[in-house]
Amino acid sequence: MDTMLSTTELLAIPALPLAAALIVGLFGWALKEKVSHIICIAGVVGAALLSVHVFMQVLDGASFYGNFWTWMLSGRFVVPVGMMIDQLTVIMMMTVTIVSACVHIYTIGYMHGDPGYTRFFSYISAFTFSMLVLVMGNSFFTLFFGWEAVGLFSYLLIGFWFKRENANVAAMKAFIVNRVGDFGFAIGILAVWYYFGTVEYKEVFAAVPQFVSQGDSLHFLSWQMDAITFICIALFIGAMGKSAQVPLHVWLPDSMEGPTPISALIHAATMVTAGVFMVARLSPMFEFSETALAMVTVVGAITAWLCATIGLVQNDIKRVIAYSTCSQLGYMFVACGVSAYSVGIFHLMTHAYFKALLFLAAGSVIHAVMADQDIRRMGQLRKYMPATYITMLIGALALSGIPPFAGFWSKDLIIEAAAVRGMGWVSELAYWSVLTGVFMTAFYTFRMFFLTFHNSDRVPEETRAHLHESPKVITVPLMILAIGAAVAGWWGANILNIPGVETANNFFGNSIFVMEAHNPLLRLEEVEHSAGGHFWLEYGALVLALAGMATAWFMYFRETVYPARLAATFSGVHRFLLNKWWFDEMNWKIFIMPARNFGTFLWKKGDLAMIDRGLIHGGIIGGVIAGMNRMRAAQTGMVYHYAFAMVIGVFVLLTYLVLKG
Amino acid sequence: MTQVTFPLPDVIPLIPEMFVAVMAMAILLWDLFLPKERKQWSAYAAMATCAVAAALTLKLASPDSVNAFYGFFILDPFASYAKLLIYAGTFFGIVLSLDYMKDEPNTGEYYSLMLFGTLGMMLMTSAPNFVTLYLGLELMALCTYVLVGYQRDVLRSSEAALKYFILGSLASGFLLYGISFIYGVTGTFDFAKAGIGIAHAGADAHMALMLGMVFLLAGMCFKVSIAPFHMWTPDAYEGAPTPITAFMSIGPKVAGLVIFIRVLADVLPALQVDYTTILTWLAVLTMAVGNLAAIAQRNIKRMLAYSTIGHIGFAMLGLIAANADGYAGVLVYLTVYLFMNMGAFAIIILMRREGIQGELLDDFAGLSRVRPGYALAMGLFLFSLAGIPFLGGFWAKYVVFIAVVEAGHLYLALTALLFSAVGAFYYLRVIKYIYFDEERVAFDFAESRLMQATVAVTAIAVVALGLFPGPMIDICKAAISNII
Repeated sequence: MDTMLSTTELLAIPALPLAAALIVGLFGWALKEKVSHIICIAGVVGAALLSVHVFMQVLDGASFYGNFWTWMLSGRFVVPVGMMIDQLTVIMMMTVTIVSACVHIYTIGYMHGDPGYTRFFSYISAFTFSMLVLVMGNSFFTLFFGWEAVGLFSYLLIGFWFKRENANVAAMKAFIVNRVGDFGFAIGILAVWYYFGTVEYKEVFAAVPQFVSQGDSLHFLSWQMDAITFICIALFIGAMGKSAQVPLHVWLPDSMEGPTPISALIHAATMVTAGVFMVARLSPMFEFSETALAMVTVVGAITAWLCATIGLVQNDIKRVIAYSTCSQLGYMFVACGVSAYSVGIFHLMTHAYFKALLFLAAGSVIHAVMADQDIRRMGQLRKYMPATYITMLIGALALSGIPPFAGFWSKDLIIEAAAVRGMGWVSELAYWSVLTGVFMTAFYTFRMFFLTFHNSDRVPEETRAHLHESPKVITVPLMILAIGAAVAGWWGANILNIPGVETANNFFGNSIFVMEAHNPLLRLEEVEHSAGGHFWLEYGALVLALAGMATAWFMYFRETVYPARLAATFSGVHRFLLNKWWFDEMNWKIFIMPARNFGTFLWKKGDLAMIDRGLIHGGIIGGVIAGMNRMRAAQTGMVYHYAFAMVIGVFVLLTYLVLKG
Repeated sequence: MTQVTFPLPDVIPLIPEMFVAVMAMAILLWDLFLPKERKQWSAYAAMATCAVAAALTLKLASPDSVNAFYGFFILDPFASYAKLLIYAGTFFGIVLSLDYMKDEPNTGEYYSLMLFGTLGMMLMTSAPNFVTLYLGLELMALCTYVLVGYQRDVLRSSEAALKYFILGSLASGFLLYGISFIYGVTGTFDFAKAGIGIAHAGADAHMALMLGMVFLLAGMCFKVSIAPFHMWTPDAYEGAPTPITAFMSIGPKVAGLVIFIRVLADVLPALQVDYTTILTWLAVLTMAVGNLAAIAQRNIKRMLAYSTIGHIGFAMLGLIAANADGYAGVLVYLTVYLFMNMGAFAIIILMRREGIQGELLDDFAGLSRVRPGYALAMGLFLFSLAGIPFLGGFWAKYVVFIAVVEAGHLYLALTALLFSAVGAFYYLRVIKYIYFDEERVAFDFAESRLMQATVAVTAIAVVALGLFPGPMIDICKAAISNII
């Protein structure tokens, strides 16, 4: 059990993409496009292979914990840089590097001919490095570093086409909304340091039970709360920003302005799941705060349901998938909130494969229809692009939760866990949200799918000539991911035994901490072994998923009048959903406009009038110029003036000392 | 009849001094026999002297204080470290002179004078006693007077030398007058004994001590250009041959500040309250003069003269802190200053337009397009002088600022911070000329491998000290350990 992993191998995993990013980023101007993408792909594929190797070793019981060097030391404040490699880490590493490798290859085709080709490769490699630091680190510091670094690259990549105004606005929006979350996150980390005096996971986790029994509490605003609850909630606010949970979800759909490979890699498979990863990683802390767990569950449940409703009516192919991402992230948080962290991570992994697949397939479609993203101007595309059609179908089935595809295994477990957890209204709300969410998920997925590939052919004439299947560099990654989307769920459930109750035979072992009283998997097993009908518990989700698919088939497989009629009948609801619950408008009125007005006031009155005109030009610069002129005037060049200055100097000093006595 | 024993003094600690003295005289003679086309050899000999003296000093360096010549000479790590800085200053000064002085007659005298000046500084750093102090100081001063006026046919140069000489004599008078008061009260020239004497002096001696202290400090302030005793500096800097300006900006300042530290730490500790007040006001005035007047300058040499004054003002914070960190900070400051200032002067000497030395700020216009390497190096020196992290100059300021804050002078540190912000303006202005303005007259560089090497070495040193300041700070702290 105690075999240590090789330090060199572990360091190489983040180092390879970093080296590739630096080489291509700094010298990309001198490299041919082909050379740059070979360097980056080599770096990421190398990291992926090493990750798989590390995964195999961890499967055999190896692990690693250690610091490499001290980044900063200031009195009591020590910031070491190190790694903590266990089951939770390796599954993330493998997911991140494999999806990233697929996206890298896909990018060759998708970004072909773009003026920023090498820059793009350098960014996504650097992003992969940051994400690896985030998951592999052994302290809150490395977590924070990775967290901010992925945020930076997300910003750079959303605004990749910086000449488009929309892209810039979306990038800024993503960055600013994340700042709100990061504020909480930073407070959480500082609170950890304040209370525990260290930022290393191992030490903090070891100290938590003792700390909780002390019962430290604090007043925050007017609430009295446990210190541990405060810490967890603050950290979770960070997760809400990064993982796009209501009300901080607004940036994610807009981030679709970035190139599609980015939507797949960053805004579906990896970065946005950092919040879920963090909650699972910090399970030894969250487990001790019922309040924080309840908050995680409620926020997750609301997001899962709310974003699913918005997804029902969107017409932009990428936005449908984006809202689905928000919603699925909600599922993951529900899993974590009901203490089924392993299931949350399981869903994270399966979701990474099928969501990346859906995005890349959508990208393939967009590529074919000349960058149009509106599903109202598609239809019957299956004739033109069979490979994309088949792979996307697999992705859609996986997302909807149809067995034996990946989503079924993980999503079903989440719903069952929520059903049996027993947290009063919290888990009730969660259960009903995720259960009804299943119907909507299946519906919007297949609505999008049918409108794109079936239904009537609504492709504009000028585009039709261009329709073609995408090149191999695009379809091959789709196929690799399709394999993942097909088998990852079965593999996780049956080979890794993620639903397993015993820590000994469950893949995650001790990397995740769950209190016995909380463990929903334990209860699930009891319920399933008890007598009586629990058909609904086991098959409810599947029935709803099939119902959702059927409804979508009924309305959208062929061109029918029902969608329009439905929209007309419930025009209010339809408009409400189409406008995304008016979240953006609300933010605009409540936060953005007042902030802008306040900013303008400070700028015009404060900065320009008071500081620039009054203080700087009148005061400081005036003073400096006056002083300067006086100094220059004193420097006459006459030697007796100089001597006089010296004598006066001595005289003044003496007078001062004499008068002082 | 009592038997008078006259044991031979312990000369071992003085070997570097004796070596430099012998070499200075030897070069003076040797130069007479050198044919005209080989006059450069005296410069090489002088450079070798610095190198060998440095080796000797390193060889003799030990963590202990060694007294020699019956208490007239002290060799401790502080003196050894200061001597190394002085050798480096002289060495670079000679390198900068090679090309500049090529066409001047009597270069043997010139290099010999630099070595004698160096000898004076070396004696100052090793002075445990007012007599040695005065001896070294005058030796150094006489050499620099002559060197400033070396270009006799240049009016500006002669005028500067004469002014410097007159004012220097006045300052020496102040110094001697101050020493005489302290001798009057304590009856000794020895620093340590005088310090004990002052501590035990009665109230009736108070006024005499105040007079002595003020005159003593005034005399020393003159040497390191502390306002209002700084007025000679811009004129002398501008008038002197540029390599001498560079030479004067390092060695004499090192020696002067070392003496300052020894006097404050050994002679005047009992008067700390009084001298702290005085030095605080002088420091504020010095920073104000240095940083404000520099803005008005169009001549880069004058600007650097005021910049020296400003930097001395910052280094004074270390004196005012009067603790180990402060004194070590002064050494750190001098170490970094050595490299960044020498580098800047090397670039100035390299810059020629149609055979004429570039001295005006606008002469730098467009440098980045013609010689990006020089432009980058000058940029580094100027950024470092302005104290931008992470270059050496940042740490120099950082160390003394922290020391003075920890000694409880928060407002002084804030004032210094404000002046360093003002100071950044005139450094950055030169960078603006270098990088953003168009070239007007064609450049014509004095190409010299040694000069280029100097620029490279100093630039690398400024960057390296900025990135890895730890070892330098540790060495300076170790060097100061015998003082406090």
